[in-house]
Amino acid sequence: MSGYRLGDTEVDDTFAEAFPMRYARVVITAATDGWALEAARSMTGFATSVIGCKCEASIERALASAETPDGRPGIAVLLFAMDREGVGKRIVERVGQSVMTCPTTACFDGLPGAEKTAALGQTLRYFGDGFQASKVIAGARYWRIPVMEGEFLVSESVGVGNGVGGGNLVIGADDDDIALAAAEAAAEAMRGQGIALPFPGGIVRSGSKVGALTSKSMPASTNHQLAPTLRAQIDDTLVPDGVGALFEIVIDGVSEDAVREAMRRGLHAGASAGATHVTAANFGGKLGQFHFPLSELRDPP
Amino acid sequence: MTLTLTLRAEPQARVDAAPLIPERLRGLNASAVAAVELRCGRETAVVGDLFDISGAGTEEEALVLAGDLRQFDWIGARMSSGEIVVQGDAGSWAGAEMSGGALRIVGGAGARLGAAYPGARVGMTGGEIAVTGDAGEEAGAGMRRGLVAVGGRTGNGAGLRMLAGTVIALGGIGGEAGLGNKRGSLASGRALEPLPSYAYASRFSPPALRLQLLRVRELGLMVTDALLSGSWSRWSGDVTELSRGEILIFDENEEAA
Repeated sequence: MSGYRLGDTEVDDTFAEAFPMRYARVVITAATDGWALEAARSMTGFATSVIGCKCEASIERALASAETPDGRPGIAVLLFAMDREGVGKRIVERVGQSVMTCPTTACFDGLPGAEKTAALGQTLRYFGDGFQASKVIAGARYWRIPVMEGEFLVSESVGVGNGVGGGNLVIGADDDDIALAAAEAAAEAMRGQGIALPFPGGIVRSGSKVGALTSKSMPASTNHQLAPTLRAQIDDTLVPDGVGALFEIVIDGVSEDAVREAMRRGLHAGASAGATHVTAANFGGKLGQFHFPLSELRDPP
Repeated sequence: MTLTLTLRAEPQARVDAAPLIPERLRGLNASAVAAVELRCGRETAVVGDLFDISGAGTEEEALVLAGDLRQFDWIGARMSSGEIVVQGDAGSWAGAEMSGGALRIVGGAGARLGAAYPGARVGMTGGEIAVTGDAGEEAGAGMRRGLVAVGGRTGNGAGLRMLAGTVIALGGIGGEAGLGNKRGSLASGRALEPLPSYAYASRFSPPALRLQLLRVRELGLMVTDALLSGSWSRWSGDVTELSRGEILIFDENEEAA
């Protein structure tokens, strides 16, 4: 494959393949930054991949008090699923188990005015066992659910938007420490408005392929072609010469543009941080509606 | 430019100002606005007799009423959309049976603010009323939904037979509040002795009230940070109804401490 070089980094002539997904944004507020973060971490836990977790979720960014509906410190969380029904089910489960349970929190719709919505408080209110009450404030309905601490306040519904899931970059270097440092730098640069990096620290070391060689029932298995330890054992390795470790960063975004620009930031940050090789994962271009060629990311952000 | 009616002459009797709502006046030219009839005591007056008119013909759903309008009752009554700003004091029944939009009074309001018409069970069913000064008796009577916010005090009997919705008085709710209240919320920024049909529940920082107070601040009332983040006592009642209503009373002592 002939790609291009960014300094000492070889960039493959390939593309990331991504899919349409639906997403919701919730704004979690709490008495302190710390409790908002606890709730957000809990809510976005075990949400790395739709294959195994039924949704992908991540902290989008921290919000200053002035940016939140109730003027307290907050965190914006993005949650992605394959369809609106999926978003609706997961958001109720996760807000119910991870946000309502967390001291001092309240939970708001982060996509007000969206055309499509999914129920949130409208479903969670039943936890109030008949003692719940609603308030319409500035045109939006909220539910007050009495809890042991006082009250949990939650938006009646959340907006559901059309997003893009599965954008990715694969970052490698000869040394595993350097590869990880480059991936960390890339992930750090990619985070921000409209972007979710659902894997731990934004980075996945066990990238997968669709299906399996040894089973017809497994939906996914290790991406053996990018496993450096198998380089000498298989005929179709894709691990470039001189690369000893690879990390993938999976990106879900609120738009094609958000994903592309995050990939651009990540590519350049990873290259600057010592990546010797950057590529992307795809399925031959037949499965995903969105293609992000690395060749389009050559200009720095 | 916003349609502005500035009071020119003191009316001879009380005026029914209910026709002066944005949804009715929007798009009318100056002569059509001037010809709108208002009941004035036993007589009929026209807007042009009482007000100077500017900004007519606008498609903006907003209306400014300026002057001492204490003689004008039913300002914003039954409005469903748009915004009315009253620069001066309003008479009684302002925002009565309102269903949407916003009524902002930079001044005081008379009795039965946002209330039900005489004999009607249901008062305000939506929208927002913000009064910077004091309001008279029985504010929010029969209210089903919406917000009545008063920067000063409300008179006696606020939230009478309220079904739901919220009445907030930063300067304090008057006595005998919430009689027959089913699910409504009354919030008093000053100490208050609730009726015997209310029972003390707890002290907490109500998250929904916080959101409402922030909204009230946006509507132009002076909401202190102490009110926003302080503790409020919750009293439940009216026990003769469902006991699902509440009176929230700001804990002033905690503020001092």
